[in-house]
Amino acid sequence: MTTLPPLPMTRPKLTALARQKLPCSSRKIPRSQLIKEKDDIDHYLEVNFKGLSKEEVAAYRNSYKKNICVDMLRDGYHKSFTELFALMEQWDALREAARVRSLFWLQKPLEEQPDKLDYFYHYLTRAEDAERKKSFEDVYNNLYALACYFNNPEDKWVRNHFYERCFKIAQLIKIDGGKKEAEAHMHMGLLYEEDGQLLEAAEHYEAFHQLTQGRIWKDETGRSLNLLACESLLRTYRLLSDKMLQNKEYKQAIKILIKASEIAKEGSDKKMEGEASYYLGLAHLAAEEYETALTVLDTYCKISTELDDDLSLGRAYEAIAKVLQSQGNTTEAIKYLKKFVKIARNNFQSLDFVRASTMLGDIYNEKGHYNKASQRFQQAFDTTVELMSMPLMDETKVHYGIAKAHQMMLTVNNYIESADLTSLNYLLSWKESRGDIEPDPVTEEFRGSTVETVSQNSEHLEELSRYDKSSKKFLLSTHFVQYTKYNLILQTQKEKFHPALDNLNTETLL
Amino acid sequence: MNVIYPLAVPKGRRLCCEVCEAPAERVCAACTVTYYCGVVHQKADWDSIHEKICQLLIPLRTSMPFYNSEEERQHGLQQLQQRQKYLIEFCYTVAQKYLFEGKHEDAVPAALHSLRFRVNLYGLSSVELVPAYLLLAEASLGLGRIVQAEEYLFQAQWTVLKSTDCSNATHSLLHRNLGLLYIAKKNYEEARYHLANDIYFASCAFGTEDIRTSGGYFHLANIFYDLKKLDLADTLYTKVSEIWHAYLNNHYQVLSQAHTQQVDLLGKLFENDTGLDEAQEAEAIRILTSILNIRESTSDKAPQKTIFVLKILVMLYYLMMNSSKAQEYGMRALSLAKEQQLDVHEQSAIQELLSLISTEDRRIT
Repeated sequence: MTTLPPLPMTRPKLTALARQKLPCSSRKIPRSQLIKEKDDIDHYLEVNFKGLSKEEVAAYRNSYKKNICVDMLRDGYHKSFTELFALMEQWDALREAARVRSLFWLQKPLEEQPDKLDYFYHYLTRAEDAERKKSFEDVYNNLYALACYFNNPEDKWVRNHFYERCFKIAQLIKIDGGKKEAEAHMHMGLLYEEDGQLLEAAEHYEAFHQLTQGRIWKDETGRSLNLLACESLLRTYRLLSDKMLQNKEYKQAIKILIKASEIAKEGSDKKMEGEASYYLGLAHLAAEEYETALTVLDTYCKISTELDDDLSLGRAYEAIAKVLQSQGNTTEAIKYLKKFVKIARNNFQSLDFVRASTMLGDIYNEKGHYNKASQRFQQAFDTTVELMSMPLMDETKVHYGIAKAHQMMLTVNNYIESADLTSLNYLLSWKESRGDIEPDPVTEEFRGSTVETVSQNSEHLEELSRYDKSSKKFLLSTHFVQYTKYNLILQTQKEKFHPALDNLNTETLL
Repeated sequence: MNVIYPLAVPKGRRLCCEVCEAPAERVCAACTVTYYCGVVHQKADWDSIHEKICQLLIPLRTSMPFYNSEEERQHGLQQLQQRQKYLIEFCYTVAQKYLFEGKHEDAVPAALHSLRFRVNLYGLSSVELVPAYLLLAEASLGLGRIVQAEEYLFQAQWTVLKSTDCSNATHSLLHRNLGLLYIAKKNYEEARYHLANDIYFASCAFGTEDIRTSGGYFHLANIFYDLKKLDLADTLYTKVSEIWHAYLNNHYQVLSQAHTQQVDLLGKLFENDTGLDEAQEAEAIRILTSILNIRESTSDKAPQKTIFVLKILVMLYYLMMNSSKAQEYGMRALSLAKEQQLDVHEQSAIQELLSLISTEDRRIT
């Protein structure tokens, strides 16, 4: 039997190396060489079997978060690492807090959002690089990019964190004359404003405004920073003053608003100036300083006409009318309101139109021009019907009802006072027909709005009492005196003429 | 008496050297349960650990006495386990102490004992073995036996890799030692990878600003220093010194507050305390002095940083009750501050520290 010769085999380097190492191989290999060969094998594996490299194995085994952290650290970006680590801890803490409060927290943990982690890595390391080179402008840009990336509702706190960092860095940037600092102030102001800390926000906006004064800086969208500063500052001042007005701190509010209008003047933007004076006028009105209010509103009026801005002109007229009304100068008020109504109608501002008509109606009502009042209220009511807004419709309905009742009261009074047979007949027929039908209030009012028969009026009265039930007592109580007078007359006739009115009285009394 | 007569040895006892596991020739006369291949190993073991645990080994290595009841047997077994656990801890701390004192040679037998008891108690593939492996690796590194260190470390790494529940602290230690190994092998790429891992795990376990994390930063800084990336190394060194400053300053403030609040209450001395164990103190001294050396080499550029490190060292020695050293560093800081004409505030702060130390010193003596 012959043994076959061994097959010639070409072995790859790895097997060759391994063969030599096998205990059966004849060669004696010193220990040190063995170790060297082991390194060779490692190297060979790393180079030739891509999937087996140690780093790739590690990358595969470990979480993405860890890989990012380790990548940062091995290149020495320890500050980025610290920051990212702290953010992730905070992220987890927020999640935990949300879980404890049994809120549904939609955010995934950061580890499961690799693109966000990538962003962190990219910008944080760049920022740190720039910081080492002391080019703070680059640091700012990178941090700002991160802040922009996280500018969405659920990551707001991350954005805020980077705004704060930007702010700190921006104070170190001197070469650009403070543009970055101004921007940082703007962001901080925004941050505080969103947080509701208006005073702090105003402080930052003031700094922002001061820094941008007389500069021609523009932001990315091409808006002038100074204008932006004015706008934000005015907005904050207005919110602040609103709060103060609510707490009846008129003086403070007016002081702030005067400051605001000065700033608006400097900002040389007419529209803003107008706005500022409008709010100042309202504040003066609230503080019952009518004369100053009028002068301020007048400037607003002028500015609006200059700008040819009908809407703000309308608002100006409305405000002036309010002031005049509070002063008791109703004829003037009516004049302005009429202008307002006209403007509102021309511009199809239905809500404004309703408001204006209601105000006009109120004034007429007070002055005793019930016809005109009901006419105005009717117009208002018609518009609300078009608008299909139920609460507004109800309100105007009540106004309308009151005006109608007033209108009717005169006639009834006349009949009662004349005390002859025909008038009694009229009254009786009204009384009889009153309860018969329950007319649809809307159609009824359409049809019978101008008809002055007693029977029609009764329906309005009933309506009135119905709405009274629906929580509009306050409106009626102002007219209570007139109703009681009316009722007394009825009582002297020894006729229980008007159960509806009775109803009404007891209810208003209640 | 030290020579063994194999036939006189109780049946079933393994006759191999305590240190190298070679066939034994000698026996320890005190306990008669420990064997050695020669005088050298016996002496090494005696100096390292055997002197301290000689008698404790007897119950572990002789057969258990006969117990009458199951209950007693259980009790006996439990006691045996407890003894082993105690020995594990004891040997571990002894070895650690040797390592921090730089006596690597002495640390090896102690660490070996710790490892052996761990194997007995927990089995070969337990995570509990990792600390012992790491000690051995560190000792080997210290002795310059890189190959051996590598073996131990890979053993440890393999054990960690297989286990599912390994604490972050252990991970961190393992990676730190691996990092040190690769530094010794001059493979900076790998070393950086492992040190980064170390920092990551330490941060997970203790937080990014903990003194136990600072070690990783320090070694990483050393690598960058060797690679001549000085600005990088500089920020890392600053980070390390800031961590230590925060920690020590905190302790120092608490202490000085206690001093000012109750002055001379019955002339009682306050116990100065760093809140560190011996190992950490040794680490602190090592890290801070080497940072100081580096800072001093570039002192003319940034004297502020040198003074910062000096101040930390003063605080450290003060808290460790080593007032002469504290004074020495304090004087150095002061003279440097005067030389460079730094602001008065800095100088007065150092003065204050120095005066506190000297009053403390007088009270003790």
